[in-house]
Order: sequence, then C-alpha cells, then structure tokens
Amino acid sequence: MSTPEESSIENRAELPAVINELYGKFGESSFVRQHTAEGMPTLWVGRDKLLDVLRFLRDDYTPRFEMLLDVTAIDERIRVHREGQPDSAFTVVYHLMSFSGNCDIRLKVALPENDQNIPTVISLWPAANWHEREMWDMFGINVEGHPNLSRIYCPPTWVGHPLRKEHPARATEMEPYAMSDEVQDREQEALRFSPEEWGMSRKSDTSEYMFLNFGPNHPAAHGVIRFALQLDGEYVIDCVPDVGYHHRGAEKMGERQSWHTYIPYTDRIDYLGGVMNNLPYVMAVEKMAGIVVPDRVQTIRVMLSEFFRICSHLLFYGTWAVDLGQLSPLFYCFVDREKAFNIIESITGGRMHPSWFRIGGVAQDLPNGWDKLIREFVDYFPARLDEYDKMIMANTTIRQRTRGVGVMNTQDAFDWGMTGPALRATGLEWDYRKDRPYSGYENFEFDVPIAVNGDCYDRAAVRVEEMRQSCRIIKQCLENMPSGPYKSEHPLTTPPIKEKSKLHIETLIDHFLSVSWGPIIDPTEVSMAIEATKGINMYYLVNDGGSGAYRTRIRTPSFIHIQAVPFLSRGLMLADFTAIVATTDFVMADVDK
Amino acid sequence: MSVFFYGSAIIAILATLMVITRTNIVHALLYFIVSLLAIAVIFYTLGAPFAAALEVIVYAGAIMVMFLFVVMMLNLGQVTQDQEKAWLVPSIWIGPSIMAVPLLIEVLYAINLQQEQMAHTVIGAKEVGASLFGPYVLAVELASMLLLAGLVGAFHLARK
Amino acid sequence: MFSFQVGSLLNIALILGTVLGAAALLIWVERRLLGFFNDRLGPNRVGPFGILQSVADVIKLITKEDWIPPFADKLPFVVAPIILPIVMLLSFAMIPFAPGVGIIDMNIGLLFVMAMAGLAAYSAMLGGLASNNKFALLGGLRAAGQMISYEVFLGISLLGVVILSDSFSLRGIVEAQSDGWYVFPQFIGFMVFMVAALAESHRWPFDLPEGEAEIISGFNTEYSGMKFGLFFVGEYIGMLFMACLIPVLFFGGWHAPFGLEFGNEIISGLFWMAAKTSVFIGFFVLVRAALARPRYDQLMSYGWLVMLPLSLLNLLITGAIVLMQGS
Repeated sequence: MSTPEESSIENRAELPAVINELYGKFGESSFVRQHTAEGMPTLWVGRDKLLDVLRFLRDDYTPRFEMLLDVTAIDERIRVHREGQPDSAFTVVYHLMSFSGNCDIRLKVALPENDQNIPTVISLWPAANWHEREMWDMFGINVEGHPNLSRIYCPPTWVGHPLRKEHPARATEMEPYAMSDEVQDREQEALRFSPEEWGMSRKSDTSEYMFLNFGPNHPAAHGVIRFALQLDGEYVIDCVPDVGYHHRGAEKMGERQSWHTYIPYTDRIDYLGGVMNNLPYVMAVEKMAGIVVPDRVQTIRVMLSEFFRICSHLLFYGTWAVDLGQLSPLFYCFVDREKAFNIIESITGGRMHPSWFRIGGVAQDLPNGWDKLIREFVDYFPARLDEYDKMIMANTTIRQRTRGVGVMNTQDAFDWGMTGPALRATGLEWDYRKDRPYSGYENFEFDVPIAVNGDCYDRAAVRVEEMRQSCRIIKQCLENMPSGPYKSEHPLTTPPIKEKSKLHIETLIDHFLSVSWGPIIDPTEVSMAIEATKGINMYYLVNDGGSGAYRTRIRTPSFIHIQAVPFLSRGLMLADFTAIVATTDFVMADVDK
Repeated sequence: MSVFFYGSAIIAILATLMVITRTNIVHALLYFIVSLLAIAVIFYTLGAPFAAALEVIVYAGAIMVMFLFVVMMLNLGQVTQDQEKAWLVPSIWIGPSIMAVPLLIEVLYAINLQQEQMAHTVIGAKEVGASLFGPYVLAVELASMLLLAGLVGAFHLARK
Repeated sequence: MFSFQVGSLLNIALILGTVLGAAALLIWVERRLLGFFNDRLGPNRVGPFGILQSVADVIKLITKEDWIPPFADKLPFVVAPIILPIVMLLSFAMIPFAPGVGIIDMNIGLLFVMAMAGLAAYSAMLGGLASNNKFALLGGLRAAGQMISYEVFLGISLLGVVILSDSFSLRGIVEAQSDGWYVFPQFIGFMVFMVAALAESHRWPFDLPEGEAEIISGFNTEYSGMKFGLFFVGEYIGMLFMACLIPVLFFGGWHAPFGLEFGNEIISGLFWMAAKTSVFIGFFVLVRAALARPRYDQLMSYGWLVMLPLSLLNLLITGAIVLMQGS
C-alpha cells in the first residue's frame, strides 16, 4: 500500500541507497517517493530532470543501472486510489535494472492531459526505441526526438490508442467491422514498405539494393513477423522488423478480466512457456494480497516451469537445426518434447497452455504415480542431450555457420535489453533464479551456464546446457517434493479451499463471492519478474481496488530481443540472418502480446 | 546424314534469327542456346563428336550460363527494352540485308563445292588430343598463356 | 525373338519405363527412409506400405490448376521445368546397365553426360529468372553459381578414370574395371565426384538453390501443379542418374564383387547394378537426413579452395603414374 506520509518522516539513513544518492544529487524536492507492494524503490521525477537522472543512474551511480528493463505508461485518468502520487493524466514508467548491484529502480513521470510529450531516451538505451513506439501506439504519448515514431502493433491506419481508457476493449463495443474494397486497398497500401521512412537508401554508389520481405509467411520466420531486408546480393545491409501481426491486446484484456480469470491469458503470451507465464502473474497477485504459498506449491511450480523450459528450448534446438539445413534433429526434439508434454498432461490435464497455477496455489494436487513418469524422463533425457551434442553442436558445418555470427558483447546486450540465454551467452553469469531466487529456487542446486563469445553458437550452447540444469532441478523436485497442501490457507486464495465452504452459511457466501468475483485486494502496485524461457518476463500490475487490474503491463523478452536483430545481422549473409533469427528465439505471441 | 545436317542447319539459322530479333535478352539467350545445340549436332554429323560435346559443355553449358548470370544481376528495365524495340524498325534492316546477300551466295557456292569432299572419318577425343599436343603444341601453350593472363586479371579485378 | 542388344527398341522402352518408375518409387523410398532416419513413419497410407504414394501425388499434381503467375515471363517460365527431366533422361541413354543393356554407346559418353549436366543448370536459372520473384531470383543465382562451379570439379575429378580406362565411353570404362574397381586407385577422384554430384543435383546438404529456411523454395517458389512436378521428378531422375553413374565410374558397374556372379551375365549384371545404385541412393538420403547446409560463400570457397586443388592433384598424380608405367 502506498503510504506517502510516512515516507517524508522516514529517516534518510533507512532509505534505499539509490534514493539517498539521488536525493543528494538532485535535491529531495525533485522527487516524490512511492511505496509499492514488492518494495522496489519508486520515484516520481519531473520531465525536465528525467534525462539527467537516467543518465546519472546509467553512468555515474555505483552500481550502474546498465539496463532499461521496461518503459511503459499508465492512463491515470479514472484511477481512484492515487494517494500521495503527483497529479497525472498519463504516467510514463521507466524500470531500470542493475546487474552489477542486483537491484532495480522505477522512475515515474507525470504528464498532464494537455501536454502528453516526453523526451526520448534512445540516446541512453537504444532498446527504448520500440518501447517508445509502443507507448505512442497504445497511449498516444508523443515522444519528442524519436527517429521514427510510428505505430508498432496496430496498423498505421488504426484510429485511437487502444490502452487509453476511452478505447473500447471488446469488438462488441465498436461498430461492426466491414472491409470494403476501398478499405482493403487502403490497408494494403499502408503495408507497403517504404525504405526512406526507415532512413534506408534505395541504392549505393555501386549497386541497387533489393528489398526483400522476409515474412510474414516465411518458413524460417518462426511466426508471423515481417523483416524488410535491405539486400546487396545476398548481404544484409540493414533490416526492419515489422511486428504486430499477432497482437491480441493482452494488456487491455487484463483491464477487463478479474484477477483469477486473467490467468489463462498469461499462458498464451509466450505459448511455448505454458504455465511458466502464470508464475510471474500469480506471484505478483500473491505479493499484493500478502499470500505466502506452501512449500509444496512452490516446488510443484518450479518443477512444471522447468518442464516448460525444457519444452521451449527443445523446440528452439530443433528449429534452429532446421534453419541451418539439418532436418532430423527437429523430429528427435519433438519426440522428447512429446514425452515432456505427456508428463505435463498427466499432471495438469493440459499440454501447451494448462493455465494450472492459481492465486495462492495450483489447481490440483499432483496425481498418484506422478513420480514414476518423471523419474523415467530424468533418466532418459540427459543421454539424449548428449547424442544431440554430437549430432548438432559438434557438427562442423553448424559450427562454421554459427561461430562468430551475430556477435554481441555484454555491453551491447545491456544496451539492447537482452536478457536470458542471450545475455548469458555474452559471458555474464546472471540468472534471476540464482541471483534473485523466487518460488524457492534458492533451495535447488543448479549451475548458471554461460558462454563467452555471444554469437549464435553460444546462444544455442547456453540453452542446451540450461536443459541439463533444468533436468537437474526436476530431479531435485522429484526427490525432495515436500508434503502439505497444494493451496494456501489465505482467505484470498482463488479458488479457495472448498472444504471451508461446507461449515456454515458465512463461509459458503465467502466461497461464492471468491469464486464468482475473485479476490478484492487493497490498492497498490507491484511488479514481479521471473527467468522465463526466453529471458526476463515481468508483470507490472496496478491495482485500483477493483476485482481485476487497473493496468496490466507485461514485459516480454521476445519483444525486446527482436529489436536487436538488425544490430546483429548487419553486413552478414541471408543464411546468417536465419541463424540469427533462430537464436534470438522469439515467440510471436510473446512479441505481440 | 544430309537430312540431319540440313535440319539442324535450318534450326540454327532460325534460332539465330530469333536471337537478333528478340528485345527480351533472356529470350534471346534461350534461342542462342538452341542455335548452339543445333551447331553441335552439325559437328556430330560431320564426324566430330568431341567438338560437338565441347560445343555444348563450353558454349551452351558454361558461357551462356555466365551470360544469364550477368543478365540476372543487371536490371536493364523498360527503358532498354523500348530502345531495342526501336532498333527493329524494318528500314534499318535494308542495308545489312543487301550486304549479306553476296556473302550468302558465296557460302552456298562453297558448300556446294565441298559436298563431294565431305569426309566421314570420325575425329574423336584421341585425335584431337594427339594433334593438340603434337603439331599444335605451340598454339596450345600460347593460348594457355593468354588464358592465364585472363585468369590473373579476373582474380585481380575480383579482389578489388 | 527378343534380344538384348544395345539400342534395341525393347531396350529403350524397358529402360525408359524402369527409370521413370524407379524415379517415382524413389520419391516414396526417400520419404520412407527419411521417416526411418527421423524416428517417424513417413507415407504409409496409399497402397501397401504407402508404395502408391507417388501415384497419388502425380494425380494430385496433374489435376491441379496449371497456373502461370501474371507477372512471370511466360516462355522461359514454361520451358524451365521441361529442361531438367529431358536432360536427365537423355543422360540415362549413356548408362550401360549390363552387358548388352543400354540405349546408346557413344565414344564420348562421359562428355555427353557432362554436357547434359551443364544444360541442367538452365532449368533452375530460367525458372528463377522467369518467375519474377525475388526469392526465385536469389535461388536462380545460387543455382547458377553453384552448378557452374561444381561442374568444373565434376569434370576434372572424372579425368583420372578416363586416363586409367583410356576411354570416354561409359561402357568402355565399366569393361576396363573387370579386373579392379576404380574406387581404389581413384579414391580422391571418387570423393570429389561424390560431393560434386550432390552439389550438381542440388541435393542436401547442397540444396542452397532451394534452401527453405532462407529463400523459401528458391527457383521453384512460384511453380505449382505439374510444372512443379517436373522440377520435382527431374530432381529425382537426376539423383537416380548420379546413383547409377557412381557405380559405373568407380564401382565396376555390372561387375559382381568377389566373383559373386550368378546365372546369365545380363541378369547378374542388372542385379549388381541395381544393388550398387540402391546403396548410393540410401547414402544420398542418409546425407540428407544427417548434414547441415553450408552458407553460400562457404560452399564456394570449399569448392574452389578444396575441391579444385584436390581434383587437379588427383589428375596430376594419375597422369604421372600412367606415364611412368607406360614408359
């Protein structure tokens, strides 16, 4: 809960170091401090001081805040509970992360209704580019100085800004859509790629460039994404990723669903991550509600998440090999993936999107005999990985195709917001599970695989080793599964434990309300991140005391990673481009939300 | 045998005519290949299978592929096509045609003379090889020097 | 009276029928074998073991709309897919299957085969150029570069065999191997030829002209129906041809290994020829299942920097040894 009054009388010495330092440098009056449920330092800062503060945090403060993890906005106009926060119609939120200091800071900028302008921060972090375009697309916030402030998810012909509160959330709230010939022509014309808009020239002194649409339907594009490639022969001069073909408005849906009924939507964000997507969401809600889940729940969650990590990485492994022209590994990987899915299915009843985690627990207890299936898998799987090493990772052609291709060092990874295996492949040993353990990861023994060169081969090698570590974690879950309930006793657990409803009428009413409306949680804000299959997946929830979120922000790793594809692929060949696209390992549903 | 000869000769002439009247360079090259193949058949009927095979391998196979390769990389576009269409106006053909007629008569006369002397000894690979490395070895060496110079030149240009 | 004689009408009809049938069967064989290597089933529904799958495919391809994209260059677009099966079938005319079984014995058989291989490049090139599609154009360019380059090594790698057998005639080469296969004295030539043959018929891993992950389907992206079918069948006839040519040049053709001849020399010859061809078909499929595709510049530098010196060295050494023995 935000209690701003207390913050002013707080002793300066007890403040988080970063806030203390900022107060000292820019003056306490420049900031307003806000309390959030997860306790992350959160400061409101004036628009005029924003760039200075960000630059200070990035360059001069120790530890440095190397990465701009997320930029988003909140439409505050109908928010009721804003006690202690400065007046704002639209709030822009910057989430910075320090890997050296293992800490975060959130900065907020208030924008009045009549002046929705904010300076761009691309000069500090190139990764801000797409975040700012997204902010323009979704909120209509004008980013001053942005090189190409165009819509990113919605088609350029879209009217309105979807995440504004006045924009309808359902098709039924809008006029029935009809596509006449004129509309179709207009939409088609809007899709035409114009190189000049992106600062690309059509020819050089010596040759005329070819502009190739790599996608939206391309066998190696891994989903509906379009890369407009600027080619000189087979050499990629530059490329513009065009996303949004898969945009479903998951964040908008978060504003109309209740806390409980939003869980199935999260599964479908990174649809290869399955229940792992539930985890940051339910953890965020639990944090707000103050629910502490039992050990058994934590271990079950870890076990299933690691299964999905294996599934996701296996899919990457196989498709990566296919993109390099090796046909067979895909089928072997799918066989193994099938075995993992069989286990997931026998535990959860679902396969790719089980939506199985609940606020305060999981949907059911583990079925009888679950351990037998998993034991078979952990005995079988590492040997298969060794075989794949011989077939894929040791293959000379694959090594030649991927070593030294798409190279990125740690600083580049920070600049471009790369997290997960892509970051670890550059040599930084940083894993959310290890460095900020959640859901009981601190109780497990596992290594954080890293590589040194940050090229395509290393990104793949890190993922392969992660599968081994996941298998190791699953084995520990198997051997040390705690006994106990599969749901928390907390009253806000949803759905609540049914036995309690059978006592008397009050508990029955409680149960009924809890199931039909879901929990009502005191207004606050929270963000929770996990080490998802592709990188850091973070849910930032703004709770205004309703039955659901006032604003749901999903920080998906794929969205940010795709932005780095042009950086990685400039000057390389078309075949290298597919290798880079494959090792970026994105899921379009995760990109487009 | 002469049926084969005249047949392929007519094909060669027609195809070559098509080559010079096409405005689309790809079509022209296609007809040129047909013309080369027809000439290869003529070589074969004349008892020179080795020459026929080389004709196809070197000219139709490699050189024309190189031409097509270059055509693919160049983007000549509509302007050149219109320009070439303008060259095909009938009046332009009169002069060259008049000059070509005496040549044609000469050639026909020469062929008529040779008709009786057309020998049918087969000149195979061995005979070609023996004469290349026997009486004509100096010519081969000179040609190879020339080709080497070309190779070095191409290498130098490609490195730039 | 039927008699097996090179060039007899019966011979021609039987060989043509067998080659076309075998090419169709090969499609099924490859898919089943790939299924086996890939830990899956492969086509198994049409007819016993799915053996009629190719028939179903052909029916489907023939009954499909014969569509030419409006933006394509029509003449080359139509001609391109016809070239490939024709030149491949013409090449088969040179193959001596067994004593007395074959279509024609030319004294320049090997050169004829090379000439046809050179013409095959047009299929991919024209297809790529005429489609007026950027992916097809890239595929056509790749096909042209790859086929011209590898044709050079294909030719040079065979010259060792020609020197040893003193003949360009394929039948002459097989007959010269009656007392020993050329794979042993010409092992380098054999290796270079194998690689060049894969590249020449753009089979995996040298399928760059149609590298799916990069250029969708390369030169045949815009093709559908029977025009696509011709490319497809042409490729399989080409693969069959290469699988026949390797035994002929390096593995003694119809000669039985270890004197395992049986019955009539024609039947024995055909059996051993078929057996050797099958081994190489299996090898081609295995290569497809196992290897990854190199990048275009890697393919080129591998060709010119490794294959060319190797094949020249082979030629030089073979020539030197033959000269020394002769003198």
